[in-house]
Amino acid sequence: MSTKVNRRDFLRAAGVGSGALVFGSYLTPALQAQGLIHNLINGFPVDGIPVVILKVNGDVVIITHRPEMGQGIRSSLAAVLADEMEADWKRVTLKQADADAKKYAVAFPAPVESDVPLPFPYNTLSKDPKLQYLISPEGSQFTDSSRSMTAYFTVMRLFGAGLRLAMIRAAAKKWGVDAKACRAEKHRVYGPSGQSSDYRWLLLGAKKETPTYDEISAALKKPEDFRYIGKGKEPMPFYDALDLVRGKSVFGADVELPGMLTAMIERCPVANGALMSYDAAPALAIDGVRAVLPMFPPGKRGGGVGRGFLPHAGVAVIATNTWAAWQGRRALKPTIKWHVSPHDTYNSVAFRKELEDATSKQGNAVRKLKDVDDAFAQVGVDTKEAHYYVPHLAQTPMEPPVAVAVFQNGKMEVWAPTQSPDYAQIWTGQVALGIDPCGMTDDVCNEKARQASTVHVTMLGGGFGRKSKPDYIVEAAMLAKQMPGVPIRVQWTREDDVKFSYYNAASSQYLKASLGADKLPTALLQRSALTSFFGTLIPNYSTPDLSQAEIKGAADLRAATFGGGAYPYASGIERAQGLEDMPYDIPNIRLENCKAENHIRVGWMRSVANVYHAFAINSFAGELAIAAGRDQKDYLLDLIGKDRIIDEKTFIDQSVERFRNNELPLAAIEVPTVKGGKANQVVAGFPPDTSRLRAVIEKVAQESDWTNKVAKYKNMKGRGLGIAAHRSFLSYVAVVVDASMSNDNKLTINDVYATIHCGLAVNRDRVLAQMEGGVVYGLSYALLGEITVKNGAVVQNNFDDYPVLRLNQTPRIHVSIVDSNEPPTGVGEPPTPAVAPALANAIAAAGGPRLRAMPFAAKNDSGSTDEKIVFL
Amino acid sequence: MSVFQLNVNGKVHSVDIDGNMPLLWAIRDVLGLKGTKFGCGVAQCGACTVHLDGKAARSCITDVGVAALSKIKTIEGLSYDGSHPCQKMWVELGVPQCGFCQPGQIMTAAALLDEHPHPDDATIDAYMSGNICRCGTYPRIKDAIRRLGGSATS
Repeated sequence: MSTKVNRRDFLRAAGVGSGALVFGSYLTPALQAQGLIHNLINGFPVDGIPVVILKVNGDVVIITHRPEMGQGIRSSLAAVLADEMEADWKRVTLKQADADAKKYAVAFPAPVESDVPLPFPYNTLSKDPKLQYLISPEGSQFTDSSRSMTAYFTVMRLFGAGLRLAMIRAAAKKWGVDAKACRAEKHRVYGPSGQSSDYRWLLLGAKKETPTYDEISAALKKPEDFRYIGKGKEPMPFYDALDLVRGKSVFGADVELPGMLTAMIERCPVANGALMSYDAAPALAIDGVRAVLPMFPPGKRGGGVGRGFLPHAGVAVIATNTWAAWQGRRALKPTIKWHVSPHDTYNSVAFRKELEDATSKQGNAVRKLKDVDDAFAQVGVDTKEAHYYVPHLAQTPMEPPVAVAVFQNGKMEVWAPTQSPDYAQIWTGQVALGIDPCGMTDDVCNEKARQASTVHVTMLGGGFGRKSKPDYIVEAAMLAKQMPGVPIRVQWTREDDVKFSYYNAASSQYLKASLGADKLPTALLQRSALTSFFGTLIPNYSTPDLSQAEIKGAADLRAATFGGGAYPYASGIERAQGLEDMPYDIPNIRLENCKAENHIRVGWMRSVANVYHAFAINSFAGELAIAAGRDQKDYLLDLIGKDRIIDEKTFIDQSVERFRNNELPLAAIEVPTVKGGKANQVVAGFPPDTSRLRAVIEKVAQESDWTNKVAKYKNMKGRGLGIAAHRSFLSYVAVVVDASMSNDNKLTINDVYATIHCGLAVNRDRVLAQMEGGVVYGLSYALLGEITVKNGAVVQNNFDDYPVLRLNQTPRIHVSIVDSNEPPTGVGEPPTPAVAPALANAIAAAGGPRLRAMPFAAKNDSGSTDEKIVFL
Repeated sequence: MSVFQLNVNGKVHSVDIDGNMPLLWAIRDVLGLKGTKFGCGVAQCGACTVHLDGKAARSCITDVGVAALSKIKTIEGLSYDGSHPCQKMWVELGVPQCGFCQPGQIMTAAALLDEHPHPDDATIDAYMSGNICRCGTYPRIKDAIRRLGGSATS
């Protein structure tokens, strides 16, 4: 908050004076706290209350607005509120919110006077001049980028503390004592002379209480008083555990509606393809098959490059049960003819060469410090260079995509496991309205679409980015629209999931360094080519059948959206994930982004662009260290240099700034609590801070007994340690791998150590669980993961030819957390990126080959010339 | 279509279905028991694991006609209240993340412990290698089984 705005004006602008509550545009937490108590106790509809409901018996229903996909966020956010409220967890139930992005957005009103600067540059994406969002509607329920806790920790605390304060004041008035002499503990308020009362009996009094924002802020607990948060007095609750182990939790496929039919869809194997013809008769001859419906009319292209969340072209078989639909689909398949050009010329082997050619030439500089060319041109200078490659990867969440939709009275109602309730609502609403779902439409159109669809969010059987894209939900809506009144469940097979993902980008990375006498780099050049997901989300010249005007319009949109960029180059988001924030302290730096087109759908997978950026830079660091005969850990710390904030002035594109914070200036949320704080101080957010990177490296070295083991393994043949460290989604992770290599090139991973700095670890057990799982996920793709494409169609099918790590292949994993009371940062995505390079460095240290291309493990039919190892 | 008597969780159901329908879909779509999950359809992932006469079986590749010859137990029949030792240990150790694969993991683990009350690590690896978890809960699954089998070191 600028010092020019006094808080009273601010609250008035927020609507406090009017007494009206506008839940669609979140105002201030204090207002919410007041409003919800008022509403609850006065019996206003539950719908008007966004976060918490107090029942007449004092029990608490907490609305969990972020989708649950295994990160434990339902429990974590609710427990944060319960902790501050001093609610007894036994009296808490959770209710999953429907899609309602605006309700859960966190906004401040726009300046009411022209001289009131808002304390952050994060202008709203909604273009609504009245609101400045801290958490935009686009991000309020979008469970992605590891931002749930970062964004809502303070908000939930304020709600809880506001309720506690109101209860305490109500009790104090009832007893005629000073509120300051009362305290709350587990659903009871205790007075100075032994009085006590359950919250239940204080509801009527509490509703009259209107604690101000400042009072609520002042009432927030100190870390040592936390009950569940961090190292609280009691274990953090895990609300869903019992239902999950009993098979009672409702995932997408478990939704059952009267009269529901199941659809399976045979899809065009190539992006942007179209249906030419099909024969429904063989499918209709199968018992239980009720209908055969094309997703688009013959001749009309379906989803693919530049088509956002539009489903691929396809033909659906709709039946009374899954097996009948599956059988019908088998009968249908041979009758279908597709139009597959132009992307049927896409072959991933040839494309890799294209990518490597691109990184062999100069690209667009995205960050520059002095001049690398001069350093490279020094006479007699020692240089080292390497190319790294990461193929397309599929997320393969355990639950294949599935969604249920019913269309009646002009409205769509949807049940789906989705990471992006808002995207799902907008796109299915467009289907309901008969608008060709085009995505990225204007606000008015989006708002109309939201009104036309209700989206119920089920439990997600894993997400990993796949379920950020609602194409499978749009499919259910498209079919429901064609059969009004009949609930339709679209069930994907694992083969569908593997063949119709939004794949993580394929990427080539080129690194070159010149070395000084101390063997540390005097200059570093990194070139990154990656198939940006914006090539899939926004139309471009690779999208067939577009006019020049449409291509131009799309180019303008892209330039203005999410960090900008132009096809076929990376977006600001991708550049900010491990390229522009490269942490090494080197006197001459040039980081470049090179060209890479889209020919299949590209999306994102756990840790996104960090996958290839972390792999390349950390592998290169390991190569330099080993070549120099230095200890990898010491060399890495030397590269990182003295503790500092990465100087963003060296970024070529300053618009990337907001991605530095994942659009989450949490500090700004706390602005009003920072008395006299200067705007730019509180806006600082979470810039790359090398002291945190050093902290995780030092801790993981300690946990892994690095120094002693290095000394011990020096005299042992075939055993070695590798280290890597990476910042992503505002958190810092270091990984040490202890590996053995046999004479016949067989890898054994003995131990993996991983340490995270995520600010305050709110739910410590789930942070540890995310770290364990993140290591497994990282090992999976490093060793085994590869999607290849022939003639535009994905080659792999199921877990037999797209293998993932299994229990018997999983090494001992030791995870740890750097203690901190700083604002919390992400824990879902950050554990994975450092795993692959730490493993590659360990393999090299153990006398194995230097692996510069994933996957590391040889496959019988790969025909690749890359170095490989054997992993059983 | 044929009529089959399916003995599921101690209750006999008469179903009139295609005898080639995999047991998984009979359990989920016909009997409405949703705890058994579809993950791959080709016995690669184990999410659909049930017990046939006490042995772990992948219901996605077991024809219903074959399954009708056995006593079938699903996660719903393992206990009514989550009191099976595996379920209790899974909760105690916070094993599940997304939880989608866990009914299958627990059914496999329960069969393992029935057959080998004190399994060594090699036995645990062999039994559990058929159940995939994409969240990567393997370390805790292994820990849970070790504890149940009395071989826990931690």
